[in-house]
Amino acid sequence: MSDKTQSDHAQGDGHAHGELDMGHTHVSSSAMFMTVLIALLFLTFITVAVAQFDFGSANMLIAMGIASVKASLVIAFFMHLKWDTAVNKLMFLSSFLFLSLLFIFTLADQFTRRLDHELHTTPSEPVDGAWVQPAKSDGPH
Amino acid sequence: MSHDDHHAVVIPAPGSEFVPHTVAHHFSTPVQEFQAGKLGFWLFLATEILLFGGLFAAYFYFHELFPQTFRVGGEQLDWRLGALNTSVLLLSSWTMAMGVRSAQTSQKTKTIVYLILTVLGAVGFMVIKFIEYRAKNEHGLICFGHLFDGYDMASGQVSWFKDYHGVMANVPHGHMFFAIYLTMTAIHGLHVIIGAIAILYVLRGTAMGRYHAGYYLPVDLVGLYWHLVDLIWIFLFPLLYLVP
Repeated sequence: MSDKTQSDHAQGDGHAHGELDMGHTHVSSSAMFMTVLIALLFLTFITVAVAQFDFGSANMLIAMGIASVKASLVIAFFMHLKWDTAVNKLMFLSSFLFLSLLFIFTLADQFTRRLDHELHTTPSEPVDGAWVQPAKSDGPH
Repeated sequence: MSHDDHHAVVIPAPGSEFVPHTVAHHFSTPVQEFQAGKLGFWLFLATEILLFGGLFAAYFYFHELFPQTFRVGGEQLDWRLGALNTSVLLLSSWTMAMGVRSAQTSQKTKTIVYLILTVLGAVGFMVIKFIEYRAKNEHGLICFGHLFDGYDMASGQVSWFKDYHGVMANVPHGHMFFAIYLTMTAIHGLHVIIGAIAILYVLRGTAMGRYHAGYYLPVDLVGLYWHLVDLIWIFLFPLLYLVP
């Protein structure tokens, strides 16, 4: 961080105040980056290791959970978002909010289709079957 | 706030190996330029998340519809190559982070070395990707020569899906997994290539001494882009190679 003061001294013109603000930009230590890298590689190993076991429907949750931890490490430390301004945090992280809306409504549609199919007492099954597998006529080959 | 100045602001360079940076005329202060650049880039990255988000939504939707297709499809991919590519990308993300750090601290030579290593990571990633694509082409799971031939009425299949060895014969819509696999990895691969070109651009600027503690915005932004490429792959790897 010695260069921070150095650059502050260098800005001797009328913009010294602005340069001081510039100087607040966080410079992470090499040790921290190395720690994050090791954690990411370790979590990749864990990802592969847990994939050898079948946890049933929890498989997806576990895999996405580990991936989310890895992603958080990349965003917070490699991308420096932890030390970024509030508006940048809001800007980027809100995309995940909108993404969750996309997922929620897509999956809500999918799950309610199934519910609809199960609840039908009228002979609507061929219709649903045709929807799920429109190319059934080719059959496996 | 700065007062009335509409003239260019010059950020002096810390040493003779660097050149001073002139703040673009539409910004009054270097901080404003820096923050505006960062804000705009984070907004762009948010749209990237949404772009890939749509593809991930498609993945989850079809994974739910045809779980067997995805399970068997995932088994056709070599998870060792996937894990290797994950490690390559993580390492290059680290070299990129170190490169940005070197630029922030006016260490020109170190910046150049780290950026070159990052580009090598990108090249390594694409080479491994190419090996994987070639194998898929050989097995007829993705026939790259017939990608745009449309639906084949005779076989009742999309033209690019031949499945010579019948590995997907017992699951419905075997092409579905490979359609998702190709779309997601190809768009991701395109980002890797664009990222590598962007890194080469800032590498040139670094060699010319443009980036130092007082001005390193382009290196920072290219770094963010590269980390995003890594971020996407972190999710692609388990979803495609180790289909949960």
